[in-house]
Amino acid sequence: MRRHHDCDGIDHVIARRSFLAGSAAGVIGANAIRGEGLFSPARAAVLETQQKRILQIYLQGGVSQLESWDPKPGTKYGGPFQAIPTSVPGMHISELLPHTAKRMHMLSIVRSINSKIGDHSQGMLFMEKGRRAGEYPYVGSVASRYLAPADGDLPGYIHISKRGINDATAAFLGARHAQLKLDGNKPPANLAIPASIDETADQTREQMRLRFNRRFSKQRSPALTDVYNSSYEQAAKLMKRKAMFEGKAQEKDLDRYGRHDFGQHCLLARNLLENGATCVKVTHHGYDTHAENFNFHLEQLGEFDQTFSTLLDDIHDRGMLDSTLVMVYSEMGRTPKINTKYGRDHWGTAWSMALGGCGIQPGAIVGKTNADGTKVAEREVDAGHLFHTYLSAVGLDTYEDHDLSGRSIPIGDPAAEPIEELLS
Amino acid sequence: MSASVVIDPRQTHETRELKHQNPLTTLRVDPTGRYVAAGAQDLDVQLWNLQDGNHFSLAGHKSWVRSIDFSADGKLMYTACWGGTVKIWDLSHEIPGMKRSFQAHQGAARWVRLSPDGKRIATSGNDLLVKLWNAESGELEQQFSGHDRHVYGVDFHPDGQHLVSQDLMGNVVVWDLNTNKKQRTIDASAMTGYDKKFAADMGGARDMQFSSDGALWASAGITKVVNSFAGIQDPIIVVFDWKTGETKRQLRAADKFKGVAWGVRFHPEGFTIGTGAEKGGKGEVWFYNDEQDTAFHTLAVKSAARALDLVGNDRLAVAHADGAVRLYQMTEKAIEADGSQDATESGKD
Repeated sequence: MRRHHDCDGIDHVIARRSFLAGSAAGVIGANAIRGEGLFSPARAAVLETQQKRILQIYLQGGVSQLESWDPKPGTKYGGPFQAIPTSVPGMHISELLPHTAKRMHMLSIVRSINSKIGDHSQGMLFMEKGRRAGEYPYVGSVASRYLAPADGDLPGYIHISKRGINDATAAFLGARHAQLKLDGNKPPANLAIPASIDETADQTREQMRLRFNRRFSKQRSPALTDVYNSSYEQAAKLMKRKAMFEGKAQEKDLDRYGRHDFGQHCLLARNLLENGATCVKVTHHGYDTHAENFNFHLEQLGEFDQTFSTLLDDIHDRGMLDSTLVMVYSEMGRTPKINTKYGRDHWGTAWSMALGGCGIQPGAIVGKTNADGTKVAEREVDAGHLFHTYLSAVGLDTYEDHDLSGRSIPIGDPAAEPIEELLS
Repeated sequence: MSASVVIDPRQTHETRELKHQNPLTTLRVDPTGRYVAAGAQDLDVQLWNLQDGNHFSLAGHKSWVRSIDFSADGKLMYTACWGGTVKIWDLSHEIPGMKRSFQAHQGAARWVRLSPDGKRIATSGNDLLVKLWNAESGELEQQFSGHDRHVYGVDFHPDGQHLVSQDLMGNVVVWDLNTNKKQRTIDASAMTGYDKKFAADMGGARDMQFSSDGALWASAGITKVVNSFAGIQDPIIVVFDWKTGETKRQLRAADKFKGVAWGVRFHPEGFTIGTGAEKGGKGEVWFYNDEQDTAFHTLAVKSAARALDLVGNDRLAVAHADGAVRLYQMTEKAIEADGSQDATESGKD
């Protein structure tokens, strides 16, 4: 197994930034449009102060494009649902999304994704990393690295889900930028200081830990201790924000968001974003509809639609939409062909996602599928293009290299590019 | 059926195939045995005249047709679609035509049934409502609320004084049509399941029927949900005692058959018939007697079997996922003059 050291110890970062500062102006000047150098600390500082955020709504299992963003009623594989008009003239989406339809002026649709992957895990990794293979960081970890304030009170990348394991998301960016996975809306475990230890004893043991660390680091690579340091720092930050997780949601908010898991998770996501989280991902499970695709999409999208619309409204009403990229995505779409179980199977050939907010042109439709939805007809893109687009939208130059010493690793796949017409 | 014909489910065999280009979703035979009508994974109603062989493709719905019923004389047909529309078709002329259309529900209209006296239509839908309509004018007469989840089916008791409706969660409500109020509930929770892995409910009636004397009511669907997103659950037909509301029978398929029971009919001779679609696409027709809850005879058919109705007492019509309506004769195969057994007729639309 390959092992990555954390190269983000505080001392290391300061040293690297001091070194880079001297050449920063030259790097920015030479790569103003398409950067091909290291990600500059000057730009990082600007992004940090802009407080840009990302909200990822992940419809796990592969939402059907035909029952969501690319309906084709009355066609061979169109299914039983109709298309409804949206708040954007000429744009129609599935009747299963009536609340979202009224808010499409805040979102755009990409209807021409051909990821060529019909597998949950590989599809998800491609959508998160923008690369088909290799150990690269997820969108959320990249956001944590370059958008999150260095002194932020919350981890840079938080994932709310009641299922699955904690993915290794940070790759070479280091443990500090790894996903913190919350088990639904439960607070992280062990936030409180054990009852047997008072505050003085807690401070004493922390000082002792730091002393040991310093002594250990003198003889060895700081990477060995930085991983532990970041974990302690993250834990300390979370302990200070304990109240945020423990407060009971207001009744009126629960009424608006829904009392189901997804409603409560989206409400927590709003609170986290309001309180300085940089990237929050909420997973809504239940779209792998090999059987009963239509009944299940009725149920699942019914739950998604009202909750997501409420969250979008709240982000907008709080003046955060301009600085928050909103992504609604899956790891793949579903087959146009309907199987004998009334199901749709895995499909990476021609599918859709929606995105909006920070840096995204609202009300746009990018790409097109053919009449039956069996292939992309115009403006084919894949997850590499989408990865460039998400991060370009929040102000990163995705052609630049990651801020790593001794290694040249472009943030986005150099073989792909952002969907420029989608960027505002 | 001639008086000399002996019904024997064990002899059931296919006699006729009526083919449509798209998978069929539902089916109904008119009480006179002249027409068989089917909905498909498209917008049209397929109508075959079993007597003269004529076929009509009736356009007008804007979504898949989910449920069909006929008047007692077979001159009117009622269809309900996923778009919430109910249409009334006049079949009394040489060319069938649409007589009336109205928006019955917001979201899907999942079921439509004509009252025993032919004066009212009952519908149920995804707006959680059960509705009663004037069958002639199409005007709404009564609306019943009380279900919390999508209402999959509704039917009139043969006494004409009660309606029964079943929702996704197996909540069955009996409505008193004299008071227009909920009279009682029946527990069909065995017919629903929560898929823990995918965090979603699955269940509901896929078909329902009263026995002719009204003493029994049967509902077809699923039970024992394991992974409903992959179609792994057991088909089930639950027979309820109408008077007590208690479950009387739980009719099952063979253990290896994972899927959905899509059809159920009480046969006048006392046995019960069911149809099912297996997760791999196979279809079966099940015959149950009073002695056991597993089928005393199972007929493997060519494709997933989705809906069922009787044509007279000796034939079955089944809607299949491969686009065919197949007719099955429940008697011994006839012997032709040359000694061969009767062959299957087929036709295409």
